[in-house]
Parts: sequence; C-alpha cells; structure tokens
Amino acid sequence: MNKRRKERLTTCAWSAPSMILISLMVVFPILYTFYISLTNMNVYHWFDFSVIGLKNYGRALFTFDSGFLSALLATVLWTVVNMVLQLVIAFVLASLLNIRKLRLRRLYKTLLMFPWAMPGYVSILLWKTGIFNSQFGLLNQWMEKLGQQTVHWLSSDLSAFLCCTVVNLWLALPFMIMIMDGAMQSIDRSYYESALLDGANWFQRTRAITLPAISPIIGPAVIITVFTTFKQFDVVYLLTQQAGAKTGSGFHKVLTYAYENAFITNNYGYSSAISILIFLLLLIFSARYQMKEEAGR
Amino acid sequence: MSKKCKERIGLTFLNVFFLALCFATLIPILYALSVSFSGQNSLLSSDFSFIPKDFTFENYKRVIFGEDILVWFKNTVLLAAVTVTLSLAVAVPAAYCFSRRRFRGRKTILKCLVLLNSFPALLSMFAIYRLLRPVGLVNTGVGLILVYTGTMAVFSLWNTKGYFDTIPMEIEEAARMDGASDLQVVLRIVLPLAKPSIITTALQVLIYVWNEYIYATTFMTGEEKYTLAAGLNSLQATEMTGSWPVFAAASITVSVPVLIIFFLCQKYMTSGLTAGGVKG
Repeated sequence: MNKRRKERLTTCAWSAPSMILISLMVVFPILYTFYISLTNMNVYHWFDFSVIGLKNYGRALFTFDSGFLSALLATVLWTVVNMVLQLVIAFVLASLLNIRKLRLRRLYKTLLMFPWAMPGYVSILLWKTGIFNSQFGLLNQWMEKLGQQTVHWLSSDLSAFLCCTVVNLWLALPFMIMIMDGAMQSIDRSYYESALLDGANWFQRTRAITLPAISPIIGPAVIITVFTTFKQFDVVYLLTQQAGAKTGSGFHKVLTYAYENAFITNNYGYSSAISILIFLLLLIFSARYQMKEEAGR
Repeated sequence: MSKKCKERIGLTFLNVFFLALCFATLIPILYALSVSFSGQNSLLSSDFSFIPKDFTFENYKRVIFGEDILVWFKNTVLLAAVTVTLSLAVAVPAAYCFSRRRFRGRKTILKCLVLLNSFPALLSMFAIYRLLRPVGLVNTGVGLILVYTGTMAVFSLWNTKGYFDTIPMEIEEAARMDGASDLQVVLRIVLPLAKPSIITTALQVLIYVWNEYIYATTFMTGEEKYTLAAGLNSLQATEMTGSWPVFAAASITVSVPVLIIFFLCQKYMTSGLTAGGVKG
C-alpha cells in the first residue's frame, strides 16, 4: 500500500467522527428545520401535516401584526444600545484601571470579574428575584423606604427592556473590560510621554493614541460580542418570558419569539420559518465579516 | 508640591470610585448570600441589611438534604464528564487533520463550519426534539450528551485546530524521522504542546454543560433526571411560590464549583476566548 493512500485513509478516519457528529446534530437539524418551515406542522397536525410552501415566510415578513418584524426591530435596537453602552463604559473603566499609580488594580479586576465567573442563568435568576421581584426585590424595598409606590419592574415593555439591558451589561461588561484592559496594556508608554510633552490633553491622547492602538486588537472580540448580543436569549427569556411565569411585558427578541412559537403556542412550521430567517440574517452578516477578514489579510 | 497633593486627592477619589463600583457590582450576589443565611421571617421586615439577622444554616440544610440537589449534582457531573471526554475525543483527531493535512474540500468545510457557528443551537431545538423522539432518545442522558457534544463540536474543532496551527511542523518531522507513527506523534508531541488549548476547550464545554438549562428542561421530565441547572430552574422563587432563602442558598451552592474553576483557570479562560475565538 503506498504512503499517499495510507495518509488519505487516516485523514478520513480521523475526521470522520467529528464530521458525522456535526452533520447529524448540526447540519441535519437545520435542514429539517427548513423542511418543517415549509409545512403547517402544529399540535393539531403533528403527523398529518402538509407542505404549504412559503406561506409561513409570508406571514412572518408581510403580516405586520405577526410580531416577527417588531421583534426584529427590538433585537436590532437592543444590539445597538447594548453595544454602545458596553463599549463606552468598558473603555472608560479600562482607562481608569490603567492609571499608573492605582495600586489595588488587581483586587478591583478580580472583584469585577465575578459577574462573568458566575453561571449566567443563576445570576439572571438572582437579579430577577433579588432585585426586580415586586415583593422582596431590593428595588422595591428601597422604593418603600423612600415612601414611593412599589413597581412591577418587568411588566411593561420599556421598563423590561431597560431592566434586561442593565442585567445584560452586568453580565457582559467584565469580558469587554478585560479585553480592553489587555489591549491598553500592550500600548508603549513612551507614546503617552511624548504626547504629554507636546501638551496633548486626555481627549487628544485618547483619539490619537489609545483608540488607534487598541481597535485592531479588540476588533475580533467586539464582532463576536455583537453576534452574542444579537443572539442573547437567556436574559430576556429568564427575566420576562419564562413559561408559566410571564411578567406581561411584550418585549420580544427574535430568539425568544421563535422559542415561544415553537414551545408555547406550538406553531412549529411558523417558528421554523422564523428560525431560518434569523439564520439567513446571521449568515449574511458573518459572511460579510468573513470577507472583510479575508480582504484585510 | 501642590501637584503631588492634587495627584493624591485624585487617586483617593479613584479608589473610592472603584470600591463603590465593585460593591455595586456585587450587590445581587451579596444580597443572595445574606438572604441564604437568614431565617425565613426576617425577610418580611423591610429594613434590609447585607448582614443576615437571625444567622442560620437552615436553608443550606434544606437545599442539600431536602431537595434532590445531590441527585442533580451527580447527573450534571456525569453528563459533563462524558460530554467533555467525547467532545475532545472527537475534535482533537479531526482538528489535527484539518491543521496538518491538505486535502480536497478542506477549505470549503472550514468555511462552512464558520458559517454554521453563527447558527444559534436554540433555533433547531424543535427539529432535534422531533428527530430524537422516534429514536427514543428524548428524556435520556444519551440524548442530552449527543445534543451537547453536537452543539459544542464546531467550537471544539475550531479552537483546537487554531492552536495546532501555531505549533511548528518541524517538531513533528524530527519525531517522524525516528519512525514515530501518526498516533504516537499526536499523543506524545502535539497534545502536550497543545495543552492550553485542550484545557480551554474542555473548560468551555464543561461550563456550557454546567450552565445549560433550556435543553435540560425541555428534553428531560421527572425531577430525578434533572441537571443542576434544570433543577435550580424548577426551584426558583416566582412572584407567587417558592422560598427565596432556599433558592438563594441553592444558587450559591451551584455557583461555588463554577467560581472555583473559573478563578483557578482564569488564565485559560481569557486566552481561550480571545485567541481561540472563531477567526477565519
């Protein structure tokens, strides 16, 4: 047996388990989701469903009160608001952490890491009961102390959006601070020293030195975070949309909307159509990012 | 002189600011910690403090002996161990091939994997449910293990492949000259060198399994089959039912292992997420 052939055989054998697993558990379910999206499958049509073509997609995209478009809009808004706040706050905090004479830096960093280290769902549930709960949540205890009316924090759209944003920032900021902090530490001090000699103020130094120096380093992490923020499901679901414990807020993200249609209202066909639409959207964005990466090399 | 004075005042302000910030950040955790140690009735009084009033271990006792938490813990550890082992066993050989060998379709497959990675696993949950049910894998550990390894498969492959790419070929070639086989090269040379990425991958899979609740609650019925995440989910204190002190105690209990692992392996956590992230 010649060497080339033997090598090819081992390559096949070694990659096979992974490829089979990915095909079975990732690719095939996506294809199957696409197939379901073309049918009218729901609780009443569990076995005897029929193919109805693109009707589900039509309903999602062209019926305005279907809820998909508003969920999409809310998701985009959510992503923009969260990313802007996250980048600004993380930048300010990382800059402050890098002030040279700050001795306790390590202690602060460790303490600020806690939200990242905690299991995400535990933190979200703790926020839900400990802070936002209308009876024993901290916010309402403070409201009472101030002689104010207690508030159902999670039950209206706007306040649910704000509460979810706060929790999401709490969860996501440590990672962003770490990334920015790491990037800032890699900047050569001498740039700042000569800038100071030239009399540049903080804003000028930030614009001319810090930002250009850190942006290539934090770039990939920021892009990944944009995707995770867009896909963030746990915060909104656990705080407001849990089955059996809905708080009454109408704030939906596309993912919670798809989940609700699959597992609560049981419109499997429609939910699958939404899933495929979200997937296409994410594909377009990640393909574009991929192209840019390739062109930049 | 006055400049030095100004600087000192500035630094004091900065330290006060950071101390306040750290405290504010930790409020949800500290509050849960304090509640988990206080007796049931002290909650009703509205004057709240971070130091528990009637200090008691009662809630922890109830969590550990009154609930199924030990069973859930056992389920989770078993599930996590199998998933991590399987993920690595499947990902490492494939990652080695994709890193070292050149074969037709390699680039296409790699590109497809990046795109697949943007698909949120949650969206195909219903399809997976429908596929696993006729085979009898819903409500079994095997089913969950398949789902978890599948979900993490793309990530594991990419993460290890990315690191293998940074290990120079020359080291291997020397061993091959001495007549080492593929398997020996991987086991004796590549794996020890790739230890950081193996640990990162294993940690990510472990933490994913530990924290995953949505598949665990949808696919498993019956409390004795729950994982910790699913169990905690069922314990949670809603507006109407449930006991907040017991839930707080359970939350702290569940978080402690993760916190320990996180801070022990912090080095790997950060490097793994920045360097090993999905890049083309």
